[in-house]
Formats: sequence, structure tokens, C-alpha cells
Amino acid sequence: MKPIARSIRTRQLGGYVCHSCTRNLRRSRRGYATTSQPSTLEIYDVVCVGGGPAGLSLLAALRANPITSPLKVALIESQSLDPTRKFSLPSTQYSNRCSSLTPKSVGFLQDIGAWEHVKRERVCGYKGMRVWDGVSGASIDFSPEIGGAATEGGVVAYMNENLNLTRALLGRLDELGGVEVLEGEKVTGIGFGNDTSTADLSSWPVVKTSGGRELAARLLVGADGGNSPVRTFAGIDSRGWDYGRVGVVATLQMEGEGWGCEEGKIAYQRFLPTGPVACLPLPGKFCTLVWSTTPDLAAKLKALSAEDFVSMVNAAFRLSVTDLKYLHDLPSGQEEEVSWRENHTPFEREHVPMKVVGVQEGSIASFPLKLRHADSYIGQRVALVGDAAHTVHPLAGQGLNQGQGDVESLANTIAYSVEHGMDIGVRMNLERYESERYAQNNMLMGVVDKLHKLYATENQLVVGVRSLGLRAVNSLDSVKGFFMRQASGRGEKFL
Amino acid sequence: MATIPRTTPSIRSLNLLLRTAPRFAQTQYRRHTTASASGAKSSVNPEEVSHFNALASTWWDPHGSSRLLHLMNPLRHDFIRTCHASQPTPVAKEGLRYLDIGCGGGIFAESAARLGSVKSVTAVDPSPEVLAVAKAHARQDPGLAAKLTYLNVSVEGLPAPKGLQDQYDVLSLFEVIEHITHPAQFLDACTPFVKPGGWIIMSTIARTWTSWVTTKLVAEDIAGIVPRGTHDWEKYINEDELRGHFLKERGWNSPRVMGVVYVPGLGWKEISGSEKLGNYFFGIRKDE
Repeated sequence: MKPIARSIRTRQLGGYVCHSCTRNLRRSRRGYATTSQPSTLEIYDVVCVGGGPAGLSLLAALRANPITSPLKVALIESQSLDPTRKFSLPSTQYSNRCSSLTPKSVGFLQDIGAWEHVKRERVCGYKGMRVWDGVSGASIDFSPEIGGAATEGGVVAYMNENLNLTRALLGRLDELGGVEVLEGEKVTGIGFGNDTSTADLSSWPVVKTSGGRELAARLLVGADGGNSPVRTFAGIDSRGWDYGRVGVVATLQMEGEGWGCEEGKIAYQRFLPTGPVACLPLPGKFCTLVWSTTPDLAAKLKALSAEDFVSMVNAAFRLSVTDLKYLHDLPSGQEEEVSWRENHTPFEREHVPMKVVGVQEGSIASFPLKLRHADSYIGQRVALVGDAAHTVHPLAGQGLNQGQGDVESLANTIAYSVEHGMDIGVRMNLERYESERYAQNNMLMGVVDKLHKLYATENQLVVGVRSLGLRAVNSLDSVKGFFMRQASGRGEKFL
Repeated sequence: MATIPRTTPSIRSLNLLLRTAPRFAQTQYRRHTTASASGAKSSVNPEEVSHFNALASTWWDPHGSSRLLHLMNPLRHDFIRTCHASQPTPVAKEGLRYLDIGCGGGIFAESAARLGSVKSVTAVDPSPEVLAVAKAHARQDPGLAAKLTYLNVSVEGLPAPKGLQDQYDVLSLFEVIEHITHPAQFLDACTPFVKPGGWIIMSTIARTWTSWVTTKLVAEDIAGIVPRGTHDWEKYINEDELRGHFLKERGWNSPRVMGVVYVPGLGWKEISGSEKLGNYFFGIRKDE
């Protein structure tokens, strides 16, 4: 067969065809091009849409593994990645978007060589968790001595800015090279390829970008968030509900580095009827706030002066639910009101976070809370990871970790396929990924959802039973150890 | 073609097999003119060919009757790796040539052609319908065209190798030998295609009461996982028969065997000793 024919198109060449051949053919085709830019189909083994933590981790994992590194891979990200690459703040400022990374996720990031690119001085490992019921005061303390959940050094989880992670992943990808990065290019459409005289790409997704490029994908990965265009293309429904709550985040400064910080920092979470409020430690005197509450109250909080906002945060961990209701209704002057009420409310100083003294300017923001779960994570030549597959309530700090778990499983599944000559995009060869992740994510999401609902009530009976349960669990180290291992991603597997 | 030494116990068993297979005691001449101009005697059994012609359309259906073959395919590569790893001299990391005989819809042939270590795969099958399915399917992966060649021919129809450059590093016979009427002659016909130091790799089913129950009674009659008539239990060959055949002064060494069992819900699992019960892989290396 004479390959250089008038009809030759690079779409006939596969991901396993050497790049120089593809280039030569493309060059030879240019001779026939008209004045307008020919839209040349490019063939990739993996096209990942979305340059967030999940997408970047997947690409880093594929590039770092010698089995998968020959794959031709591309990333399409609608935003410029430059702000991420250049992310740099002084040690007195922290981004308000932080996530908890379990030791298991950190282990994966170490395996793919990304963790060493993370600015470690901006990461805070914490060694204990204190969780209590805002209505009854029943509490539960987790410390690493219980249950053997922790890694070396007794860390339960690490608080880290999302940008610190994505910056590190980009750094790792730059170091590895070999990824075609299309940044600042939006996906304008996804369709299927054609059946031409030499190849049948009718089962291959073809992604068109705003930059005028067309990428055919052996495997199209949707790491493109909650409203995933890839998921829509694959015809996979996503089900769930909105909680009618928003998460208010802020970077806070406390009066000290935290109670007992010599032995390790503590994360605090108090369940209020409006939702849980959490204070999660960052390096030094800083911590990050995640306050789940109603959209109305969130709007009121965001409208307060910095001083009043700080007082409300302190109140949220200290004062009674009744006091909080009253304070929320004040248009201003919370600072004075809270300091007066604190003097009349009994609480153990060291059982709540250290007093917050300041909020970083411009760091108060909010986002809606919801639960979503895609009906499936895979389709023919399609896989979904991270938020494209599932969105979870942040109360257990598992969202990012679930995404990292997806990526690790998908990267392993792809590597197994490559090693055994299987087409990495074929649905049957992706089944392993779905079977490893779907039920596990579903269980965790169910537990988190039930926790939210259990604590979103002031019904005396429910409060009584749940407090009894919490106190009982608190006295049983074996049960606590079980929860600790689950939370740190090293738990027993049920499925 | 080599004469069959009728005195060896293993070959007696093979002949016994053939005598107990009256359904196929018919002439064994090729019926496909495309196969060869020589008119040489073929190993191909026409009834088997027509059976697999009828199966062609379901070959790549992941939930069809070939699902078990799809699931088994990774183990084939694992077994070949085990064989290669056992060599005194390490196998080349690239440039390997594979010949897949009885390739069917191309499940193994496609996968072999995707491997970085493989330079080319020649895949042959006597069923034109099945081969058409294989060719059509391979077009869905543009990376295969340069490495994978399908031929509608039996092993006797392939031109005899003129030298090392025409021989193969791996000659594979996956789920083939149990469909062959004269297995001993067939294996001898395969021999010239293997490079010195190369391997014949095959998988098949032992002729035991357990394999009769699983492949005939359960798979075909009760569960209906595979169509009736897919298997002919009397033609099954045991591992010790193969071993005896190759090691009888034919220039082969280092036989290896791996028994595998399909566990519903878990897939194919290697189970030591199970080659005596049912499905097994067999590999043997040609003397250098």
C-alpha cells in the first residue's frame, strides 16, 4: 500500500506510531492544504480534560511509570496554569482552599514523585482530631496512639493548600516532560471519529478545542469537575442532592500555635444543627476554617466586619446553639456581644481551638455543598475521576482523597492493560477501575451523608441517642481505632 | 512431514484420541483455496471451521461467548513472560516476531501487536468469516496496522521459512490443539517456523472427567456460556502427552506448564496442579 496518498490523514496513525513518522506525514500533507488552516486530527492514547489535582495526578502517575510512559498523552485545561505554576505566598499567608490529605494519598503522591515538589513548610500534619456535638456537648477524641492509624510521626492527615499540591504536580510534570498541555483552551465539542479507508475511529472520542485543535482519544479521561462535559458526552447521569448549605472558608490566625502543639496539632470539628464547623491546623499560628451553614447565615457572616467575623468563629466553637442563633441575627457588634457571653458560658479552654485573633484579608469565601455520584465511572473509551465522578460533603475531608484514590486505581488499571497488550480505552479493560472504586466511594459517601443528616437536627431524642453513641464510641478504643484507620485511608476494606 | 513414532506412549494416546473421535474421521483436506497453492494436507477440520464461522460475529462482544477468552488473554502474556524469564539468556526487549496460529477474532494477536517488545505479529486462521471479523476489529486501533498481518491460511499453507529471518520468536496456539484432528502431525508442521531458542506457547484443556463436566456439561449444556459443539472432549490433550511428544528427540527443551481455573467473580486464577484437571498453558523451547 502506498501511504502517501491524497486522502492520507494523520487520523490513520495510532498512538503507537512513532512521532517522527506522524510529523513527516503531516508535513507531506501540508502541500495539499488550502489557505485556511487545515484541521488536522491528532491521535492520543490518553486525553485528560481538566487540570485540577485529579487530572494532574493521573498524568504524573502515567508519565512516572515506565510501563505507561510510552503512551502519548495530552491535557486540556480551560484556564491558564500560570497562576498555579507561580503560586507563592509568604509564610504569613495561606490560600483559603485547603484540603486534608490522608497518609494513603501522600504515599501515592510520593510514589509518583510529586510529594517532594510540595512546599513542605506550608503543609501541616496533625496528630489528633476532636469532634463534638454542639447541642449536647458529647465529644470524641482521636489520637494516633489509638488504633495504629497514623504513619511514622503519628500523623493522622495533612492539611495542605490545593494550590500547593497542583503547583507541585505541575512541577513534577515539567520534570517528567512528554505531556502535550493545551492550557487556556476550552472544550468546544466532543464527538466521534470517522471510519476512513484505513482506520475506523468511529468508537474514538474526538475533542475539539477553542484553539482549533482536534484530539482523538484512545481513552478520554474526565477530570473536569462537577459539571463534567466528558460525563455528559458519555451519557452518564449523575445523581444526588443539594444540602441547602454552603461551606464558608477563611484563613484564620490564632493567638498561638495551638494547644499541645509540641506533641502535634489537633483538628477540631463541632456539629451544629446548621452544619459542622471545622478548624483545621496550618503551620504556625494559622488555621483554615470550613463552616457549613445555611446560605442565609453564610451571607450574613460574609457581610460582617473582620472583627465581628472572628468573634463569630470563636463563638461557633464555644457558645450554645441558642447564643449563636441570637448572634447571627445581629447586624453588627458581635465582637462585644461574644466576649460578654463567653464569660458566662462554661467550656474547657483546651477542648476548643485556640482563640482566633484575625482573618486574612480577602480569604472569606463560600461554595455550595452537595452530594453527587455518577451512575458509572466508565464508558467505551471514557473514564471519570475525582469530582466528575463524585462530589461529597466536606465534613470528613475526603473529597480530594477520593479523587487521588480514583487516580491511583485508574493509573494501575491502565498500566495493567499496557503490560498485557490490551486496548486501554475499551470498557471491558476499564472494569477493574470501576469495580475497585465505585462501591468504596459509594460507602464512604453514604456514611458522610448520614453523619451530616444525623447532626443537622435538634430533635431531643435524636440528640440523646447520637450523644449516647458518641460517648460510647469514645470509651471504646478499638472502635475509635477503626474509625481512625478509615479516615486516614488505611482502613479495613469491606468491598 | 515427520513420521509419527507409533511406539511412544504419548503418541499412542494421541492416536487413541483420534480413534475415539469418529465424528471427525473424514478427509482432512483444506477446503479454502485461498490458503495455499500447494494443495498440501491440512490440519484444518472443516466442521470446526464452519462452527467458528458461525461464531464470528460475537467474537468481540465483551459479554458474549468469548468473554472467557478475553478474560484469559492477560494470563497468556503472563505465561509467555514466565517462559522467557526461565531462559538462560534473557529475551530481547524489542524486535520479537510472533506467529499466532488459529488466531480467531484476534484477541491475542491484537494484544501481542500492542506490546512494545513485539516487532510484528502474523496471525492465521482457516475461517474466512472469523478472519474478516479480526481484520475489521483491528481497524479500530490505528496503531496495529503497521505490526499486525492477518492471513486466511492454515499452518501448512504458510511458505516454509528460508532462514532465521522468516522464523518466529513465539509461535502461539491458544485454544487450538483441541480442535485439531491430527495434533502430532500439526505440531511437527509448526516446528520449522520457530527460531532456535524460540518458543511454542499453547493453551488447551486436559482430557479428564472434570474438564468434561466443566466444558461440555456446564459451559455448553447447563450454563450455556459457550455454544454447543464448541468443544470436542475426545480431542482434548493432556499435558504429559504434549511433553512426551516434544521431548521425544524432536529438538525441544524446558517444558513449562501452568494450570488455570476460572473462578466466577474473580476471573482466571493460576492454580498449581490444576493442569491435571482442566485448562492449562504449555510452553516449550526449541533447542538453540
